[in-house]
Amino acid sequence: MQKVFNNKMAIFLFVFPGILLFSLTFLVPIVLSAYYSFRDTLSPGTPSAFIGFANYTQLLFHDSRFWLALRNAVLLGLGFILIQHPIAIFFAIMLDRLGGKAEKWFRTIFFIPCVISVVVISKMWLSLLDPTFGAFNKMLDSLGLGMLKHAWLGDSSTALISMLFILIWAGFGWGLLFYYAGLKGIPDDLYEAASLDGASGFRLHWRITVPLLSPVITVQITLAMITALKQMETVFLTTNGGPGDSTQFLAVYLYNKAFSASQYGYANAISILFIIVCLLATYISNKLTRSDATEF
Amino acid sequence: MVMNAKSTRNILLVTALAAVSVLSACGGGNDKNNNAGSSTNGGTTGSADKEVTLRLFSNLPDRKSGQGLAEQMVIDNYIKANPNVKIDIETLAEEPFKNKLKAYMASNEALDVTMVHGGAELNTLVQAGYVKELDPKEYEGDTYKFLPGVYKSFTFNDKLYGLPRNSDYEVIYYNKKLFDDNGIKIPTTYAELLEAGKQFRAKGIEPMSMNGKDLWSFAAFFQDLVVRLTGDQNLMLDAVAKKKNFTGDENFTKAAELLAQARDTKLFQESFMTADYGASQNLFTQGRAAMWYMGSWEAGMATNDKLPEDFRNNVNVLKFPVVEGGKGKDTDLLAWNGGGYSLVSNSKHPEEAKKFFDYMMSADQWAKIVWDTGAAVPAQKYELTGKESELQKQLTEVLTGATSTAGSIALDSGTPKFKDDAQNAFGKFFAGGSTPEQLLADLQKAAETQ
Repeated sequence: MQKVFNNKMAIFLFVFPGILLFSLTFLVPIVLSAYYSFRDTLSPGTPSAFIGFANYTQLLFHDSRFWLALRNAVLLGLGFILIQHPIAIFFAIMLDRLGGKAEKWFRTIFFIPCVISVVVISKMWLSLLDPTFGAFNKMLDSLGLGMLKHAWLGDSSTALISMLFILIWAGFGWGLLFYYAGLKGIPDDLYEAASLDGASGFRLHWRITVPLLSPVITVQITLAMITALKQMETVFLTTNGGPGDSTQFLAVYLYNKAFSASQYGYANAISILFIIVCLLATYISNKLTRSDATEF
Repeated sequence: MVMNAKSTRNILLVTALAAVSVLSACGGGNDKNNNAGSSTNGGTTGSADKEVTLRLFSNLPDRKSGQGLAEQMVIDNYIKANPNVKIDIETLAEEPFKNKLKAYMASNEALDVTMVHGGAELNTLVQAGYVKELDPKEYEGDTYKFLPGVYKSFTFNDKLYGLPRNSDYEVIYYNKKLFDDNGIKIPTTYAELLEAGKQFRAKGIEPMSMNGKDLWSFAAFFQDLVVRLTGDQNLMLDAVAKKKNFTGDENFTKAAELLAQARDTKLFQESFMTADYGASQNLFTQGRAAMWYMGSWEAGMATNDKLPEDFRNNVNVLKFPVVEGGKGKDTDLLAWNGGGYSLVSNSKHPEEAKKFFDYMMSADQWAKIVWDTGAAVPAQKYELTGKESELQKQLTEVLTGATSTAGSIALDSGTPKFKDDAQNAFGKFFAGGSTPEQLLADLQKAAETQ
């Protein structure tokens, strides 16, 4: 075995297929995308002209829809981090404490939304939030809160908040699973020692669970930002960025620009900026949450 | 970790299952109905002709009723007459269809015949060289019987790139029973329409169903209002072509104000901004909305036995009502030829494809079949058979009684970018409550930057 790994030819043979696949499916499309982002095309396949940075200047300085889409993505990311994750951690702790059969049961139940197809989730929420026959409005009615009834996804004043709610709900199970797995890795004797020292309840978790979970939290925050930025399916299937632009997200906007508005070059410029934003978000979230690995 | 054989086997099994279900999810849906028609040629190998498989891409996923059935019947007829030909149909619903066609165009996918939308959509296909030029002279005469002027949205730089399949025009379908039962007058003026809307709403019935998520219906509704106000079919098309301005024109301002009235009196169903085509249709066909603003291509509703009988007996057609003080008549029809078929340039069997295409477009195939089955109003001359549904008769009356037609829907007369921007402006107007002035300013900007 040792001999094989010393042979440069062998290393090349093992690595080459991977590199080739990576280049063809990843690097080449990005390079092509960058190339088209400098061109003015009516639609894929049509003749195009080189227009330099025109697409980018238009995007960055004259396109309020782009900024709106970016703002919504950032809001969603913050929603994930500030709302979804604390709840997920809380439930993970509760779940961990539960033990036995009940633990398995609840673990499954919490994870169900994650295994349901996005299409089903989208249609389900469209129905639940429907102003005429939706269960949500009916529930408000029966609680005597009829005046709060609303076309939740159909009104631009509530569409974004409803959308964020759906997305946070749908992704909850993943967050829970990660934190739960992380919790399982924390040795019990740490808690025992801490409770002997007089810590309990919230303090116990704040001092022990959260710091020891920090590697998981770091990864989760990065993942949350990326998930938020590339959010596409649920939005596309429920509101398609509408009404107006109130639930516009980067990936949906990019898709519509390419395929509905036939602005192929422009859409490619968005995709390049999209990559840059994703890289930036990863870098920043890594920077902010960086901590030395905790030893225990 | 050491695993025993059993658990390894289980994991493999689960993985394989997952892989298979993912694969089938990818392949399913689009082309499930494909082989219904094409399998008939299995036994006939005696023919001297070479076996050919043609690929047809269509926006009619429902192969059991309406236009999808008509299309399937044409294909079945062709296969019967040409046993050496197999036809693979891929179908997708409207919006996904448009998007996938562009993806096909980009990758130069070798289809043979494709459904196309006239106007801007077809124009991009033409500019990419994806569709073939046709010779209009070939389609003159009695084999085809095309009505005059129907090539307009299929012609670019005086060259023809496709043939229309239908005469499309906007009407208001209404459920007569709901009007009668509630003692509401069938509207002939816009004020009456809004009034009827208020009365229906008071009774807990949705007045008019609208596919607000798709957005294009708003633009058609607006164009109808402009024509009713001015009697000028070209005003809005001129504004899109930048020969006129949307802003600072009293007719456009008035039309936008009328549009705002529809919004503010809640003429459309409550969830109209999240309703796509199917959702808006369901609401109407289930008798929960009194009216549906939609095109003549829905003539098949009256004969579709999947819909409740009660509904089929009560669906009627209403011309878009006149506007008080407007110069337009109710016979000024927002009519155009939207859908059609084109030959794809890089077809692998160009001759066979052309043969099939010509067969399909001949007057006794598509045109006759859609009319006989009550699926749509063709773009070719058709004979009344006497077996028409009441709805078809009414639709024919609307078309033959038209004193002027638009020729094109304004949204499709600009570039796709204009369409996207304009639709967005209407979306903002209806959901966000922007003012009529803002709507017109947005439309103006969309026309200028297209």
